[in-house]
Amino acid sequence: MAPPAVDPDRLRKELEAIVGPRRVSMRPVDLDTYARDMWPRLLLARRAGAPPAHLPYAVVWPESAREVASLVKRARALGVPIIPYGGGSGVCGGVVPVHGGVTLDLKRMQALRSVRGDELIADVEAGLSGERFERDLARRGFTFGNFPSSIYCSTVGGWLATRAAGQLSTKYGKVEDRVAGLTVVTGTGELIDTDGPSRALGGPSWTQLVLGSEGTLGVITSARLRLAPAPQLRVFRGFEVGSVAAGTEAIRRVLQRGLRPAVVRLYDELDTFLNSLKPGGGHGDGRDDRRQHAFAPAPLPGEGALPVLPGPPASDRDDGPLRRLLALGRRGSRGLRQDAMGALLSRPRAVNGLVGAVAEKLARKGCRLIIGLEGARIRTEIEAALTFAELERAGCKDLGEEPGKQWLAHRYAVSYKMSPAFRDGAFVDTMEVASSWEQLMDLYHSVRAAIGRHAVVMAHFSHAYPEGCSIYFTFAGHADDRAGSERLYDAIWRDGLEAATRVGGTISHHHGVGLLKGPYMFGEHREAMSLLHGLKRTLDPDDIMNPGKLGLVHPHAPEVDGSGGAGGPGGGGRP
Amino acid sequence: MTAALRADLEQALGAEHVAAEDAREWRVSPGAAAEVAEVVRIAGRHGAAIIPVGSASRAPRLRGVDRSRVMVSTRRLDQVIHLDETSLLCHVQAGLTGLGLEKVLTPRGLSIGDYPPSLLGSTLGGLVAVRTPGKSSARHGFFEDAVLGLSAVLADGRTVHTRAAPRRATGPDLARALCGSEGTLGLITSVVLRIHRRPEARFLAAFVLPGVDAAVAATYLALREEAATAGLRVLDAAEAAHWYGAAVCGDGEAVVVAATAGPTDLAACDRDLITSAVRAEGGRDADLALAETWWKRRHSAEPWPGPPPSFQLTATPARLCGAYHAVRGAVTAAGAAARVHLSRFDATGAVLFVTFVDPEAGPVATAPVLTGAREAAVRDAALTAARAAGGYLFGGRARELDPYLQALRAALDPDGLMNPGALVG
Repeated sequence: MAPPAVDPDRLRKELEAIVGPRRVSMRPVDLDTYARDMWPRLLLARRAGAPPAHLPYAVVWPESAREVASLVKRARALGVPIIPYGGGSGVCGGVVPVHGGVTLDLKRMQALRSVRGDELIADVEAGLSGERFERDLARRGFTFGNFPSSIYCSTVGGWLATRAAGQLSTKYGKVEDRVAGLTVVTGTGELIDTDGPSRALGGPSWTQLVLGSEGTLGVITSARLRLAPAPQLRVFRGFEVGSVAAGTEAIRRVLQRGLRPAVVRLYDELDTFLNSLKPGGGHGDGRDDRRQHAFAPAPLPGEGALPVLPGPPASDRDDGPLRRLLALGRRGSRGLRQDAMGALLSRPRAVNGLVGAVAEKLARKGCRLIIGLEGARIRTEIEAALTFAELERAGCKDLGEEPGKQWLAHRYAVSYKMSPAFRDGAFVDTMEVASSWEQLMDLYHSVRAAIGRHAVVMAHFSHAYPEGCSIYFTFAGHADDRAGSERLYDAIWRDGLEAATRVGGTISHHHGVGLLKGPYMFGEHREAMSLLHGLKRTLDPDDIMNPGKLGLVHPHAPEVDGSGGAGGPGGGGRP
Repeated sequence: MTAALRADLEQALGAEHVAAEDAREWRVSPGAAAEVAEVVRIAGRHGAAIIPVGSASRAPRLRGVDRSRVMVSTRRLDQVIHLDETSLLCHVQAGLTGLGLEKVLTPRGLSIGDYPPSLLGSTLGGLVAVRTPGKSSARHGFFEDAVLGLSAVLADGRTVHTRAAPRRATGPDLARALCGSEGTLGLITSVVLRIHRRPEARFLAAFVLPGVDAAVAATYLALREEAATAGLRVLDAAEAAHWYGAAVCGDGEAVVVAATAGPTDLAACDRDLITSAVRAEGGRDADLALAETWWKRRHSAEPWPGPPPSFQLTATPARLCGAYHAVRGAVTAAGAAARVHLSRFDATGAVLFVTFVDPEAGPVATAPVLTGAREAAVRDAALTAARAAGGYLFGGRARELDPYLQALRAALDPDGLMNPGALVG
């Protein structure tokens, strides 16, 4: 780690002069906590007992945009980087202080300042937790429509900084589709509002140029977000379809007819197969669902409406297909268990082929498709009927509403379920790529093959649009030690993302770039990176905002670790 | 110096594609994106300004441009590069007009979408590069929302391609830097646009409501019930009388004409949702012929009959009525009269189209449109009132963000050659 550019005592005094002594910390435990997010590669090091490769110099909890502006100005004068921090739920290492610096935790800025029903706009501070935001809106009869599986541990500001997506994105869009304006502290410490009728004004849309900048252009401190009326009706349905290709074709036909389901999820054969392994035949029981929904707004009786927010996942429940995969080899002592899983995951190609074949030929399950619609009552009813009819015309078999309800009950589970796999010596991660429909099956097969050379891989298709779709690959790998695991992990990402770029897909649909995908940004954007560099010079001329991320190379970068890659610790496997 | 510039341009493009407009201005028509890049490099070498010209529906901004000028016409860049009927995407060169693209799409059952047909005479590159009023559709959003990717030549002659993806999370949306930039950050050479299947069904409807306030309220009531319109227009009594005759509605009333489109059941549902919202606000059905006339005129290739509206402003949903009454009041106080219609309704608001007339010359519906000094005085009064009521005028810029725009220009175009007269002052 590079030593602080300034004397720690002086830095502390400077920071305390702005926010007072109680909201500045240089305690080792805080520095350690804020050194990372949920990037699985960092967990590999963690598991091996290694200390973080990069620590912030200090953690500060500002309470207003003005304080953030003062902190940025001060940091700029001192030449110290600033790293904005929300919920810490990122999975790409976007908050790792690779050049040191001061981490700003924005979670004390969590006011829902106003909700204007007549304009359908909420003014909200960046540090508000996603779950509290949607809950407060639900109480007032609105929704922002963003329900990522990380909703309990992510913030609104984090969503905006990474262009996040939620599970209902097919209806509501990604977050960038619902922003009326941002308040941003730029790298010069100036406070700007990007609001205004962008459609009436000349010049580029600054809102769209700051969204997704992951803290590299400035700190988003608050936002005006577009709301929708809370749904009056929800309809969920499961379907079965012969193959991934037939399933994606059915989804494409639905969307291109102008129908907008909120949830579209198609699981490939392996994912479907593992879902079917659930004890009890893959059906949730009603008692469970009621417990899940206990604190959400109650549905109107007899109207089939499901509540807006199911509760947090209970720790003792079944936890997703991966866990079930790992459980295939799980009997006996922990040592035996690890051996079994190690054996399984060390032969990914065999497992991928075998399980896929089992799923397809013996179980004859085909692929599971979950479709959900929500919204105003009358229109949603008609849209649902048209959607289901279109799916049946496309060869999908209606399984009734149970699979849909089951998915709804478990939909936030995945974000909390990585640690058991890590405990058992394996690692798990997800890769979300996207492309137009024309390239989608090429994207699926090439990325799946690329990952499948190294790890057991499954996929589902979600976040569908009239012009294309995202594919969410989940993979599990295993190696004998940390170095081996990291090598394997980097190889998976290198081969997977290169395959995505090769067939014309994008390397990220909604997780963002951070450190992990920085080395692949040039492949993604090529010469258009010069536009990003132009923006960087414009909004952050001294390069103090979250340096080393988004593939932007820090001009004064010291060697950050042994690998020396521009991408920081390991660089996610620079090609 | 200028002779050398001309010689270089002629060598790159062929003499037939370089025309001298005056001693210091040439109009060039490159036939390929690579030629655009070459033109930019040549102009850069000679320190000449590079000014894009699309369909030339707007005069180029040349104020303060005191150097040789190369006007880059996209006239020859009028090809469809790739039509992806599977993904409903179309990669087109910047000089193709909306109408030109529709000619390719229509026989295939496809369409650009329900944008106001009046804007389809413009080049697609121009539509993306320049923000002007009314480039939006209730069904598809603002025109630049249809842009999934684009190619452009930057000041240093490099060509950037922002690759099309349905959505991505790989940093800021870099294509949006070029959208609305009016050629100051780069010359757009092609765009990847989202296109649509032609709707299965279309329904029209016409209503009379007790007033503009009730009509706006009914519109937003229907939008909240998620009714998607293909077009919807609210006309105040004077405007309605102007278009449909004095008998169409009473003094102080308003007329609403609407179109819905999509799968038959949904389009009918949308029409019924609008009807029910109108009833809830005290409205009644009007002769369907009103809507048919409106729709036909909207889609006619004929130019807009009569002079264009005196001015246009936009306001958010809660401020539309306030802006309307403020403008009417100010115009009346200034001794004139106005007829107004509201259109382009979506969640972000709508556009008010205001026409000033001379009330002493006859009934407001048929009175002549104000011109000259009197028009200017009334316009000033109306603008002040509109601003005070929270309306936004088209063509402005977010002044407080201007230093950032100029800094971005300087970062990408240090010599200030890219359309230097645009987006300044």
